[in-house]
Amino acid sequence: MQIDWPEVVRAVFSEQGAFVVSVGVLVFGVLFSYLVWRWTRSLLNNAGVTDAVEGTPFERTARGFGTSTVGIISSLAAVFVYVLAIVLAVNIAQLGNPELFWSRFTSYLPSLFVAALAIIVGLVVADKAKLYVSEQLRSIKLPVVNFLPVVVKYSVFYVAILIALGQLGITTTALLVLLGIYAAALVALSLVAFWDLLRSGAAGIYLLLTEPYSIGDSVRIDGNEGIVQEVDMFTTHIESDGEEYIVPNQKVFASGIVRIRD
Amino acid sequence: MTGLDEFLDELVTGADGLFLFSPGKSDYDRMAEEEDVDVIVVGAENDVDAESFVELPVEFDDLRTRVRFGVEGAVDNGYVEDEAELVCLAGVFDDDADTVSRVRADKFEKSGVYDLFANSRAEPSVIRDVLEVAVELGKKGQKGKPVGALFVVGDAGKVMNKSRPLSYNPFEKSHVHVGDPIVNVMLKEFSRLDGAFVISDSGKIVSAYRYLEPSAEGVDIPKGLGARHMAAGAITRDTNAIAIVLSESDGLVRAFKAGELILELDPEAY
Repeated sequence: MQIDWPEVVRAVFSEQGAFVVSVGVLVFGVLFSYLVWRWTRSLLNNAGVTDAVEGTPFERTARGFGTSTVGIISSLAAVFVYVLAIVLAVNIAQLGNPELFWSRFTSYLPSLFVAALAIIVGLVVADKAKLYVSEQLRSIKLPVVNFLPVVVKYSVFYVAILIALGQLGITTTALLVLLGIYAAALVALSLVAFWDLLRSGAAGIYLLLTEPYSIGDSVRIDGNEGIVQEVDMFTTHIESDGEEYIVPNQKVFASGIVRIRD
Repeated sequence: MTGLDEFLDELVTGADGLFLFSPGKSDYDRMAEEEDVDVIVVGAENDVDAESFVELPVEFDDLRTRVRFGVEGAVDNGYVEDEAELVCLAGVFDDDADTVSRVRADKFEKSGVYDLFANSRAEPSVIRDVLEVAVELGKKGQKGKPVGALFVVGDAGKVMNKSRPLSYNPFEKSHVHVGDPIVNVMLKEFSRLDGAFVISDSGKIVSAYRYLEPSAEGVDIPKGLGARHMAAGAITRDTNAIAIVLSESDGLVRAFKAGELILELDPEAY
């Protein structure tokens, strides 16, 4: 249940009193929004957001306008608080027709704020994700691979836009379905592509946990006989005179292990 | 200062190769334009995308070792000929280049220090990490007392078959790799144990407390070094592993490969 604050104030104070209170609310709103601005700023700074967004295109654009990502977000929060105060003051003083415009506007305001925030966060995270992926792929010098970071970037951005639109109350069903198809395709594709890796990884976890054989043991796996040189998540390296077999762990499971004792 | 200018001119004329040690981008671009000289970049990372690059696994403080490593790496990779005249630009007092030196590629007797890192079974980063642990252990000792340690890196399967456990292996069923900060502490704590550490090609610590049993026949290490060094030299001759030894008596870190002493570092200077 919502309390109708303007009604309460008007019931408690007289007509003139209500006007004075509304001016007070305005002044208080200014003060409070300033506090919110400072508080958000220091909170974001302390949380290391400034360093995290460093170098992303959004931050650079923001700098071009003489502000920063942290500045924009904290100003946004301050404006949000201030507009709320104005709406509250106007309602208390009963200027204009509050029922029609303002009541809808106030309920709309938080969504607007969240939508703006979602867009900003989405932009920054998308750029960060792109940077991270391209950093990871830097050692692979293949032109096709450059395509991946861009895909990651726009995927993140797409989700951010979806959240923003959803907040604004615009129907996003079609876009959501698109996202669902995209995600399902991604899962299906990676399942097919990484099937062997997944199976090897699962077997590898078992091998690492229980260590049926360890480095230095003589074993025969899938017809390959030698000394175990290395066991990792996906493969087992077995070496015999001058030959090193790199056996996928899934094969270890499929064929079993023969430990050779003298 | 014409005399000095002439001297510098003389120093650099006729050079076949130019070695830049960890150069900045602008320096590299300026030098790379030179037509008649091969530019070789030596550094921890190839930030300037140079064609000829020798990776420096350890920031050798000593210029001699650094140049030696670079030259051996370049010859090994075929960037320069054996008799090439080389000019080196390096930063000795600062990160920026402040020193010019000239050397012939065959000036050094091949010590194999480049070979130790690049052509061993174990990955260069693993060897570097082990070397760093040994150096740090040499600097601080264990709880202030000097300790000795022996790390056998690479070819772990064979090493395990040529050694026997002295006691229970504290690293059994643990999957730790050198280079993790917590592992370095563990290695330091375990260094009071007798015996050798065995480390696999990928850096996994296979065992501590190993007594190495290679045949020490024909191992030629400098006289005066003790049993630990002898064991290190012998195991590297018998297997494809390398061994990194911290001496308890003189505090030096030494690396062995194929039964020979390759590298000698003073932890205090490093």
